[in-house]
Amino acid sequence: MTPILELDHLTRAFGGLKAVDDVTTQVNQGELFGLIGPNGAGKTTLFNLISGFTPPSSGEVRFKGEVITGLSAHKIAHKGMSRTFQNLRVFPNMTVFDNISVGALGMIGVGPMSSLFGGKARAKEISERSYEMLERVGLADHADDLAANLSYGKRKYLEIARALAMKPELLILDEPAAGMNDSETTELAQFITGLNKEGLTIMLVEHDMGLVMGICERLVVLASGRKIADDVPAVVRQDPGVLEAYLGGDEG
Amino acid sequence: MLDPYILQQLAIGLSLGMIYALMAIGFTLIFGVLNVVNFAHGEVYTIGAFAGLMAISAFGPPLLVVLFIALAAGALAGFGLERLAFRPFRRFSDEASLKSRAMREATLMSSLAMSIIAREAMEMIFGSQFQTVDLAYLINKPIHIGPITIVNGDLIILGVTLVMLGGLQWLLKKSPIGLSIRAVSNNALGAKYCGINTDRTIIITFVIGSAMGALAGILVGLYYGAIFPSMGFTPGIKAFVAMVMGGLSSVPGAVISAIILGLSESLSTSFMPSVWSDMVAYAFLLLTLIFFPQGLFGARRERV
Repeated sequence: MTPILELDHLTRAFGGLKAVDDVTTQVNQGELFGLIGPNGAGKTTLFNLISGFTPPSSGEVRFKGEVITGLSAHKIAHKGMSRTFQNLRVFPNMTVFDNISVGALGMIGVGPMSSLFGGKARAKEISERSYEMLERVGLADHADDLAANLSYGKRKYLEIARALAMKPELLILDEPAAGMNDSETTELAQFITGLNKEGLTIMLVEHDMGLVMGICERLVVLASGRKIADDVPAVVRQDPGVLEAYLGGDEG
Repeated sequence: MLDPYILQQLAIGLSLGMIYALMAIGFTLIFGVLNVVNFAHGEVYTIGAFAGLMAISAFGPPLLVVLFIALAAGALAGFGLERLAFRPFRRFSDEASLKSRAMREATLMSSLAMSIIAREAMEMIFGSQFQTVDLAYLINKPIHIGPITIVNGDLIILGVTLVMLGGLQWLLKKSPIGLSIRAVSNNALGAKYCGINTDRTIIITFVIGSAMGALAGILVGLYYGAIFPSMGFTPGIKAFVAMVMGGLSSVPGAVISAIILGLSESLSTSFMPSVWSDMVAYAFLLLTLIFFPQGLFGARRERV
């Protein structure tokens, strides 16, 4: 299996606190990979190290074999890694269609001159791609609505569609099930599995075990910034260290 | 039938409003992407006027070329301004610091500093008095329409502003760069993770806004025949008021407010001394802040 994303001894310290402590793992091509851990385990920090938001204190991140540590977020996005956010970052005062177009635009990438005199062909490419994604997540009827007027659940799908419009090779979803009820989570799980079946590599960062255990092929568990498990869900579920981290030593 | 005097004042007020609108757009666009007020915007207006003036005295080009030179000077000023007064404070890319209070305060001081430096430099080079403008370039040839008299400058200002507003609207709504500007205004971090180069988008926003401000400067300079280093101060304040009235980051809101402001100022001279007309803007600002803190058109208008 070829790795698409490799984390090599990643550490990020804030003062004396190591939010991410020497994490080494990899995500393979075509995998549905889960990153879990209790609150404060360092998931978000690790995520930010991967997507170029914060530079690591030491260690490196490789994407498709290329070192991407220290690159700015938009350049990493251009390389084919796109993400969604736990607390949504849709563009509230733009239409649903325009929201997705931004993703398509970012994927195509524009120089300063060509952005002004873009040419019809590219505009057409952007709009076709955007409509395709709208259909994909079932938001075609809402194309002209302002994103702010969508329900919370629909905005989640909007953000996923925006990320997909960038034609990513690796899609990272940050707590996509947060704030969803059971039936919505099941629907989301099906959607994610569907994307993965089409060959998209997906990394799921979750606080909640349910979704991850159900659909991921492999899991990494973080606790206090350290990797405490890295295996298939069935094994991770039985891991005493994981149980302790999640349930606490005494009660567990 | 309206009194001819009122009609006359309305025509003048419309020109005034259009000028404020051109300036207010710069404030609004920049506030949209960075949540900061660019206090050097008034000086960009002056730079536009001086650039046009220098072109006129150097080689006497046609009016349209003068306007383009002012636009280019404004674009350049906007680029430099962003690099010197705004970019150095943007060391962190997370949204909390991108649109933070510390950023606002730091860039408030740095843009104010740039504005003072630019104004003083122009005073050193050109002196603080009015510059003489070649009479052939003044746009104050009277045109009689029925009972009222306007000048060709009123038509030129109206025409140029409408073209600029139309162009801006096209740019924001239809072009890729407009899409990036709107995305950054809505959520800078979200845009960045969509592969949008936020730094470049911010620079382009400064370039567009400053070009329009500089154009306003040369138009007013040729309309009144008065070009001097501190000419940008008053229109800067008026445009700032229009931005606040329009809800800070709404381009249509700012344009409508600017026109309301121009018309009101002009009409106010019919019942109070004209030197007092500046009070209208301050009164509007106070009333807006007290009664419509979200702007006259409410907060939920589309940004940019």
